[in-house]
Amino acid sequence: MRLTFDDATEAFRSEFVAWLDTNLPDPTTTAVRPNSSADVPQWSRDFQRRMFDDGWLVPGYPPEYGGRDAGLFEQMVYFEELADRHISRSLNPQGLGIVASSIIEFGNDEQRRDYAVPILRAEITAALGMSEPGAGSDLAGLTTRAMPDGDHFVVNGQKVWTSGAHDADVLLAFVRTDPDVPKHRGISALIIDTDTPGLERRPFPDLMGPDHLDFNEVFFDDVVVPRRNLVGDLNDGWRICTGALAHERAMLWVLWSEGLDTSLADLVRRVADTPLAQDDAFLDRLGSLLMDAESLRLLGHRGLARQQRGLVAAEQSLLKLMGSEGQRDVALLALDALGADAIDQREGTSSFQPWGANRGDASWFDRYLNSFAGTISGGTSEIQRNIIAERVLGLPRG
Amino acid sequence: MDFEFDDDQRELQRSVREVLDNECPPSYVRRIVEDGHDPADLWATLTSLDWPALALDPEVGGLGMTWVEQAIVLEASGHAAAPGPFLATTTQFAPAIREVGSADERLRFLGPVASGERTGTLAVDEGSGTWDPADVEATATADGGGWVLTGTKDFVVDGDTADEVAIALRVGDELRLAVVPGTDLDAEPLDPVDPTTRHARIHLGGVRIDGDRLLGTGDATVAIRRSLEEAATAVALTTVGACQHILDLDLEHVNERHQFGVPIGSFQAVKHKLADMYRDIERARALGYFAALCLAGDDPRRERAASMAKASAGECQRRVVQDGLQLFGGIGYTWEHDLHLFLRRAKVGDLHFGTASHHRRLVARLTLDSAYPV
Repeated sequence: MRLTFDDATEAFRSEFVAWLDTNLPDPTTTAVRPNSSADVPQWSRDFQRRMFDDGWLVPGYPPEYGGRDAGLFEQMVYFEELADRHISRSLNPQGLGIVASSIIEFGNDEQRRDYAVPILRAEITAALGMSEPGAGSDLAGLTTRAMPDGDHFVVNGQKVWTSGAHDADVLLAFVRTDPDVPKHRGISALIIDTDTPGLERRPFPDLMGPDHLDFNEVFFDDVVVPRRNLVGDLNDGWRICTGALAHERAMLWVLWSEGLDTSLADLVRRVADTPLAQDDAFLDRLGSLLMDAESLRLLGHRGLARQQRGLVAAEQSLLKLMGSEGQRDVALLALDALGADAIDQREGTSSFQPWGANRGDASWFDRYLNSFAGTISGGTSEIQRNIIAERVLGLPRG
Repeated sequence: MDFEFDDDQRELQRSVREVLDNECPPSYVRRIVEDGHDPADLWATLTSLDWPALALDPEVGGLGMTWVEQAIVLEASGHAAAPGPFLATTTQFAPAIREVGSADERLRFLGPVASGERTGTLAVDEGSGTWDPADVEATATADGGGWVLTGTKDFVVDGDTADEVAIALRVGDELRLAVVPGTDLDAEPLDPVDPTTRHARIHLGGVRIDGDRLLGTGDATVAIRRSLEEAATAVALTTVGACQHILDLDLEHVNERHQFGVPIGSFQAVKHKLADMYRDIERARALGYFAALCLAGDDPRRERAASMAKASAGECQRRVVQDGLQLFGGIGYTWEHDLHLFLRRAKVGDLHFGTASHHRRLVARLTLDSAYPV
């Protein structure tokens, strides 16, 4: 146990910081913001490409995939530096973090060349087709059907909550290829070009506002997908869905940590020098949230240190739970504490984050609503508690 | 940072647990609670294993291990609800002497601790329950070559049994530390909620000490605050240990207890309570070891880290004691079941050295005062 990283890791950090100092986009050029999680402005595409070319996009990958074979602690300090500056490596996060990494891990060389690398180089964007109207928490119950037919599949069915699909070039879709076996064993993963005939995308706004278009319904009506777009083996898609998707997954908590730290910093800035700073009831709740943020960071580091030692790190569900519920609780505290001041949408405006996905101008109410994206998507808080109870604490499945 | 034990620390943890499993099983704790058994036999075993010397400096005969090793022992002792002088002697008395005393004074008072001959404790609070040195009103007045002490000290751990009592008091405007032989003091034991953690009220009432029993030179406020950071972290870690024991018992119970034809642990309402208990324990444990690391490295974040450790342990026990008992149903409400031994230890862990609420507010104030950027 030690508070610091070793010298080699710190040297790695310095090298990355030096690269950032000369390669970050000029903040005056980043005013064009993304309209969805697959709508990537040119300045961001250029930056992502520079990161790829110089081996800083996914440091844990080999150079051909935009990395430099970095070790776990090196990847950690890399993420710390990104988080400190609120830098989004990609404004198509599901493309980089899930679609490309799944193809690299489970796909073949042709798929890596045609899809993973172009996603990493920000030449194309991707969306992830998982949830369906009848398959949310019970994701393995998905029913979108892909019938093998010679050298292709014919896909019929519907996805929903498909973030960024209307702006994405490709979709990594999980489909049922065998309905006659237990549900987890009949799922496959297909890469589907979004302009394939029969594929229809209907974006619909979320509760943040009528122009806030990221979700999609995606309909498949006899969509023909070449057999070569099957990722991994037939009926082996569940492993891709749930398995260790990428080397980096152990560090996704850094994003939760960054979000929580940012919200807390905004709140602290807002209440400093106001009577709230002397209010015991407020201080009680603020103190608890500061501990949430600190412990999230510590448990993330512990998971990393365990992984480094080759031990099983079971922290992911815990970190997701703590990060998402922490963000919600900060927003709630802000609303409770600011009272009538929070009626104005402009209340709570934080500083502009020139290299991130957001403008940083969300009101506290918007942040509160937005926090439900964290506690619902990617496995609800209830599902995370089930996972902790069953996989970490060893309780029987209900 | 590297936030995981190394091989030596794992080995220490294993051996410490083994000792406590053998020497301090629940049946032993029950003798303390039911019969008022004197834990001197356990203490004799621990001193023969050099536990009191573990984190003391080699200059006084200690083994010179760091606060992280100390933390490992503390967590295990909380898990066992171990009674006796270990907590107050090594995490209250020893830090106070180390921080306030001169080299000679450290040797004089800590040498016998390292060798296992003497026990000690620290008396700061005077009834406010916050352990804030600023509240100290007890005084020492010069009397010939010695000092006469007046005032009352409250909630002193082992206050009626420790060999030496380090007492925070005022000489004029300065906060100082006196060390008084326990046999010279009028100590009134409290009736303990948790008999494994005994407290006493000490009436100083004009007790006289020799001149060389007033330690150090000049105001000791900072030094005493620093030792209280250690005391609070230590109590936090023992509380985490006790909470982990409660969770262990609950997990065993919900797997074995069947109702409606299935183990009650298969019900989601039960699972979610246990998942939240686990979360709060992991959170408090992480903050406890982070505080230990900050103490080990004398990191500037130590004050905030110690308060986070204590507050999170308090929040943790609040949930774990409540849901831990609730999940047991009727059997947990019996005297016969061991659960209450650990419920007591966990609850008292929050109540002394500043409650969760007290330390949460300290954490928030430190942050708002911009002493630490978020």
